[in-house]
Amino acid sequence: MRCKPVARRLRNMAHVALLSVMGLSFAASVSAQDGNVIKIGVVSPQSGANSRYGAYALKGAELAVNEVNATGGVLGKKLQLVQGDSQCVPAEGVSATQRMIRFDNVSIIIGDVCSSVTLAMQPVVEQAGVLLLNAASSNPEITYRAGVGGYKWTFRNYPTDESRAAAALEYAAKKGYTKFAVLSVDTDFGRGAITFTKKYLPRYKAQIVSEDYYKETETDFRPVLSKIKYSGAQAILMYGLADTTPIVARQMHEMALGGKIELVGNAEFTNPSTIAAAPDVMNGAIETVAWLPSWSNPRSLKFVDDYKKAYGDVPNVHAYTHWESVHLLADAIRNAGSAKTADVRAALAKIHYESVMGPVTFDDHQQAVVPIVLLEVVGDKAVNEGVLSSRVDYSAH
Amino acid sequence: MGLFILEQIVNGIVAGSVYALIAAGMTMIFGVLRAINFAHGEYYMVGTFAAWYVISKLGIDYGTAIVLSVAISAAIAALIGRLVMQRLVNAPFQSGVLATLGISLILQNAVILAFGGGYKMFPGGWLDPVEFLGIGMAQQRIVLVGAALVMFGGLEWMVRSTHMGKSIRAVSQNPECCQIIGIDVEKVVRRTFVLGTALAALSGALTGPINVSLYGGMGESITLKTFAVIVMGGMGNVRGTLFAGWMLGVAESLVAGSIGLQYRDSVGFIALLLMLMCRPTGLFSPKARF
Repeated sequence: MRCKPVARRLRNMAHVALLSVMGLSFAASVSAQDGNVIKIGVVSPQSGANSRYGAYALKGAELAVNEVNATGGVLGKKLQLVQGDSQCVPAEGVSATQRMIRFDNVSIIIGDVCSSVTLAMQPVVEQAGVLLLNAASSNPEITYRAGVGGYKWTFRNYPTDESRAAAALEYAAKKGYTKFAVLSVDTDFGRGAITFTKKYLPRYKAQIVSEDYYKETETDFRPVLSKIKYSGAQAILMYGLADTTPIVARQMHEMALGGKIELVGNAEFTNPSTIAAAPDVMNGAIETVAWLPSWSNPRSLKFVDDYKKAYGDVPNVHAYTHWESVHLLADAIRNAGSAKTADVRAALAKIHYESVMGPVTFDDHQQAVVPIVLLEVVGDKAVNEGVLSSRVDYSAH
Repeated sequence: MGLFILEQIVNGIVAGSVYALIAAGMTMIFGVLRAINFAHGEYYMVGTFAAWYVISKLGIDYGTAIVLSVAISAAIAALIGRLVMQRLVNAPFQSGVLATLGISLILQNAVILAFGGGYKMFPGGWLDPVEFLGIGMAQQRIVLVGAALVMFGGLEWMVRSTHMGKSIRAVSQNPECCQIIGIDVEKVVRRTFVLGTALAALSGALTGPINVSLYGGMGESITLKTFAVIVMGGMGNVRGTLFAGWMLGVAESLVAGSIGLQYRDSVGFIALLLMLMCRPTGLFSPKARF
């Protein structure tokens, strides 16, 4: 007797649940068919040790979306940003991507900043037939696996560490450095860059005298700096996090290593606040970058101005690459004359886009051939030591 | 080679002094409450943030900021002590685990909510390098080790000679008897808690300049290392904590400097496992205290 009402209530609840699921899927199909917007997903770290990068990336993309929409959108449709938080953790990035694809019906995604996450996202978008344009990860494997390498749907509009590592090493060798210590972040970015640096070491008769990788939250570098001090290294190869560079620099300053051991690699060495943390250590640091705020192209300077007006601070390279990549996608959609994923993909493969750094084209691994800039810190300023092509010789791998 | 090892030992003693200062509070709180304070690293974080806030937003100099940050953290701890910690007297141990884990989440996220999740740079500190046996280090590190020695000396004196110290010892030995003879156990717990967390906050304010950056989640990894230190030192044993902290710091430095930086955090956990397997009463006491 007492079971009946419970059973009935359960049945009613099941009905309600079924109806709400149907309602949700109806709503989802409506938004998928909603012809007035083109959704662009941005997967980036919005929390955790790399959230600084994610915040820049998202603001850059947002600025570009607003700019495109202010001029009437693309093909008469507005762009709409959908964001996901990867926390720089592969599993989180994959679930953010899946949520975007399944529930938000996004078919074009820009992501992630962290190489480890991008590598994990590649098979997910491949299976779903969703376009992934990476704008900030530099691990070489990402494009070794794309285009003729396998993954049809991954593109990258960012230089790979293979070309960056080669350029930085060449310049360091020119300055007479042959003994290097490795102190990079323990991720696919940090380790990948070093793997490819090792490939070029014999060319300059250079060697690695010590090799350490730090976890993203590390703050005490003294033991490893002591080791480097006694190893005879002339320079530290560092592919690391922007937030960590001031810590290492200040601890090197304490140990009076400034001017004795130089930093070479990529970890925002040329950022004014990093230089200010320990000017004697940062002086002489060599870095290869995809862009810098002082780049004297009028469109680039306008971007820096607009960004400052909108968000109050100077954009970093991730803000720039996400901003440029949204414009690049808008251009591809315009060229394709359709927002269908396959059409946009085809248009992207043969695009000739004029970026603020120079022309952008994609090679057969769907890797953008974009210029990279070699910088050296002199005094408290970053000095441009040359612009190089980032074309990768895949056969050499 | 000799100089290299000496330098790693010095590095380890500096890092170990930080662990010891934090662990001293945790081990005292364990003594009176029989509860592990999972939020202990968060008071270290709150101390660093308080110092950062008063320096960068209110323009106060670093020396005063240390005092203020300890006072602010102690005030927060006094509130939490009254609302949460004193209720844990005679409560089952699960309540302690849940309550302190909850406080840890609340403190961490309150700081992220108030100041944002990104890294901040710590201004100020006594960073001019001094040379000592050919080892260059910031004055701040010497201050830090000095502060640890003074604090441990003070704690030793307090538990031996003052009324409060004697009550702490009494409560950690037998809370029921204390209640019978008229010691206000809740008051002792509250005071011990405030003292313990103030030590963690002091350590946070002192390490700010050499760790350079601060962020909401910075307390987590410190809490984990503190476990290893208090087990090595003997749970509830204040003096043992200083030596255990130094031992962990030196072992970590030697591993980071000779095997690899990426293996450094494994040292604490290996030490913890070995201690629990071979000598669960700690290195310095022949028999279990409780």
